[in-house]
Amino acid sequence: MIITQNITKYFGGFQALKDVSFTINKGEIVGFLGQNGAGKTTLMRILTSYLPASSGEVVIGGKNVAKDSLAVRRKIGYLPETPPLYLNMTVKDYLLFAAQLKDVLPGQQRFQVNKVLEECNLNDVRDKTIAVLSKGYKQRVGIAQAIINDPEVLILDEPTIGLDPVQIIQVRNLIKSLEHKRTVILSTHILSEIQQIAQRVLIIRSGKIIVDANLKEFLSGKGSNLEEIFLKLHSPQEEQ
Amino acid sequence: MSKIIAIAKKELKTYFKSTIAYIVLMITISIFNIFFFLIIDENREASLRDVFKVMEFLFIFIVPLLTMKIFAEEKSSGTMEFLMSTPTTNTAIVLGKYLGSLMFFTFITAMSLSYYFIIEFFGQPGCLTVLSGYLGVWLEGAMFIAIGMLTSSWTKNQIIAAISSYLILFLLYFSISFIKYFSGITESLIRYAGTWSHAENFIAGLVTTSDIVYYLSGIAVCIILTRISIENRLWR
Repeated sequence: MIITQNITKYFGGFQALKDVSFTINKGEIVGFLGQNGAGKTTLMRILTSYLPASSGEVVIGGKNVAKDSLAVRRKIGYLPETPPLYLNMTVKDYLLFAAQLKDVLPGQQRFQVNKVLEECNLNDVRDKTIAVLSKGYKQRVGIAQAIINDPEVLILDEPTIGLDPVQIIQVRNLIKSLEHKRTVILSTHILSEIQQIAQRVLIIRSGKIIVDANLKEFLSGKGSNLEEIFLKLHSPQEEQ
Repeated sequence: MSKIIAIAKKELKTYFKSTIAYIVLMITISIFNIFFFLIIDENREASLRDVFKVMEFLFIFIVPLLTMKIFAEEKSSGTMEFLMSTPTTNTAIVLGKYLGSLMFFTFITAMSLSYYFIIEFFGQPGCLTVLSGYLGVWLEGAMFIAIGMLTSSWTKNQIIAAISSYLILFLLYFSISFIKYFSGITESLIRYAGTWSHAENFIAGLVTTSDIVYYLSGIAVCIILTRISIENRLWR
């Protein structure tokens, strides 16, 4: 479903990604871990075709991201770290706008908007202006726009940030419910979240993938929890 | 095409929901009205010629305030990432945004249509001359919007976008004042590049292909440059 081969990204003289290669199968939920500045967001932006890679190749659903960008974007739902919201629009209008831009058929647009409003528990704020919503609601509107076109691939950058515990559980359940139906790449700093919903883990350090493993096998092999392993991998001795 | 319309509609709605647009609208209409009264009172003739000149001059100050946010706001708020990760071409994004701003500008210009009916009540203004004048100021405004959109695509900062836009518009509008210092091909070039002589023809009731080509090509060049600018990933 997602194949990345030797992705490298330079920002001027700074190398943000170094020879990143991995394959993600259809229906997998992959947890993407790394410290701030490790290259997670850069890699996600390359996958969504927002940023071009300096070298290497990304193929999503058989389409090359660089050569067939529009076809790839049709398959993807993306929630950036900061939810991309038009604050002066109402929730419903914003989602309708997202549906129009994401090639949802005209006859299906209202149905899809109602569906994601329901799925993301946004019905009670559907006619409110986004600017007046709480951070948690804004985050859910961001998730709603990402899934409005029933994408095959969902890329979520910190989807539970700013949510209260109840909302976190709702969002986790929503992601979990997509298992086997959609391919999900989930970046988060909450390690327990990865343990709860992901089947596979990718750990990136200084632009390099240092762990790419089935989560259960990885944890049983190491005999401890993800948090301890993550800390160990980022200890000064390991980094050297 | 449907995406261009969706973006244009969203852009237009955004104008009607923003305070600055209403302030600009109110100030513009008030200044237009004041000058309309002063000019008609002074000239005592059924003509909008001088009113069009004032409108043209005011657009230099008004348009950058309307266009500064077009792309700069999208970049600073992160919604550009949303727009560019949807299956929408960069051309559709640029055209949609341009069309939305042009519609709002057309609305502002249309608010002054009542002047024609007022002067028609007192004299015979010449319908075709007035139409030609409106076409001239509308085309000029349309080009100013394209310039404003281009400068807005260069930066995340709306103030920088507005200042860059003012610089270009001042250069185009006031270049005629410095023409006496030049001669030969430079003089001809400045005369053609400046907006003043082109608008003047329209206001006098003279619609020429050369003037229409000037404005349309100016708009097209700015739209193409804006598309290249947002394609350029350096700012991302």
